[in-house]
Amino acid sequence: MAYPQPHPRLSILSTSSQSSTDHFPPSSTRFSLPTPQSRSNASRPNIYDRNLNKTRIAEVSSAAFAFLFSELVQYTQKRVSGINDLERRLNTLGYRVGVRVLELMVWRAESSSKVPKREIRLLPTLMSIHTQVWKTVFGKPADAIEKSVENADEYMIIDNDPPLERHISVPRDMSQLSCSSFTAGIVEAVLDGLGFPARVTAHNTPTAQHPSRTTILIKLEKSVLDREELLK
Amino acid sequence: MSHHLFILSPSDTPLYSLTHYSTKPTPSISSPLSANLPTWSTSAFAGTLTALSGASSATHHTSGGSVRMGGGQDRHVIQMIANASLDVVEDIMKKDGAMYLKSVDRFNEWTVSAFITPGNTKFVLLHEGKNEDGIKGFFMEVWEVYVKAILNPFQTAHTPIRSPLFDAKVRVSAKKHL
Repeated sequence: MAYPQPHPRLSILSTSSQSSTDHFPPSSTRFSLPTPQSRSNASRPNIYDRNLNKTRIAEVSSAAFAFLFSELVQYTQKRVSGINDLERRLNTLGYRVGVRVLELMVWRAESSSKVPKREIRLLPTLMSIHTQVWKTVFGKPADAIEKSVENADEYMIIDNDPPLERHISVPRDMSQLSCSSFTAGIVEAVLDGLGFPARVTAHNTPTAQHPSRTTILIKLEKSVLDREELLK
Repeated sequence: MSHHLFILSPSDTPLYSLTHYSTKPTPSISSPLSANLPTWSTSAFAGTLTALSGASSATHHTSGGSVRMGGGQDRHVIQMIANASLDVVEDIMKKDGAMYLKSVDRFNEWTVSAFITPGNTKFVLLHEGKNEDGIKGFFMEVWEVYVKAILNPFQTAHTPIRSPLFDAKVRVSAKKHL
């Protein structure tokens, strides 16, 4: 466990939040940017001094997110060779989000508790994904959670109107594509982190009532079921 | 009294390590084994051998300040103990949902406490004395700083944490709690 000396070039990462904004031109009324004084180093604490609960109830503009996600899908689409590849890449991007969502979400819930707990049973974990994770990420719980009848290792989380896809219309020739693969990646990261390795995919399952209904299919690894059996 | 903290990624690669020398008084621990060790044990592999045999004070000589050298205090011995404790930690974390696992493992004068974050990152702390509340407080503060570090989009769960600000924060809480 030997460490090299901290690389001087990398240390800039930690302060990038302060310096990167300084390259913008001074305030322009059109975008109503804050005045230069308010973004100086003195008034802008570094991320380690910021309170993690500050943005707990903050909301993100859905339009801004729709643009960002649209760019994200376009960027990915230019670099892949098929729908499967595209979904896999979106999944990987979601995974990066999921890792952070999990740590932050649990920290907010448990850091004030005397005996902080991790979830180690499968069903409570799935339930907390259905409610807590969905609430943290999308601001509402998912619509249903089901267990597969045919396969004991498969669970499904169903969202009737995923906020992620509200502004997406998939072309007819790509009807297989579900951009909720991004959500699947988030779910996979949460399950992985808590020690339930699984393969998570997203599928379109439209109904007459809910045309954008999406199913997140969770296929657990065998080790997870074996461990559940032992914990009973 | 020294403390050694290791932060390990879910795949057990080291992300960060810290050695903290506490200024609080140490209860001295004497080992009856140390007197019976053959003289060759103080030669080439002295540190490892004396540590494994349980003699914490065989090569007990101070070299500047109150820092003890040799015996169970050698860097490679510390790392080995921390690594070895992972087996026990992984066993316990499958059955026990608590994040703070106090005194999971013992090795000679060292006690190992661990903290598992929800994302399966492990904080392993080697300490000599008993200080449950202090260690818990320390782990909770390290967890908060760790969450802030991991929120950085350039940080992945497997890259070492090199931020000097992170280091400074952890050192401050070590000073406060240990």
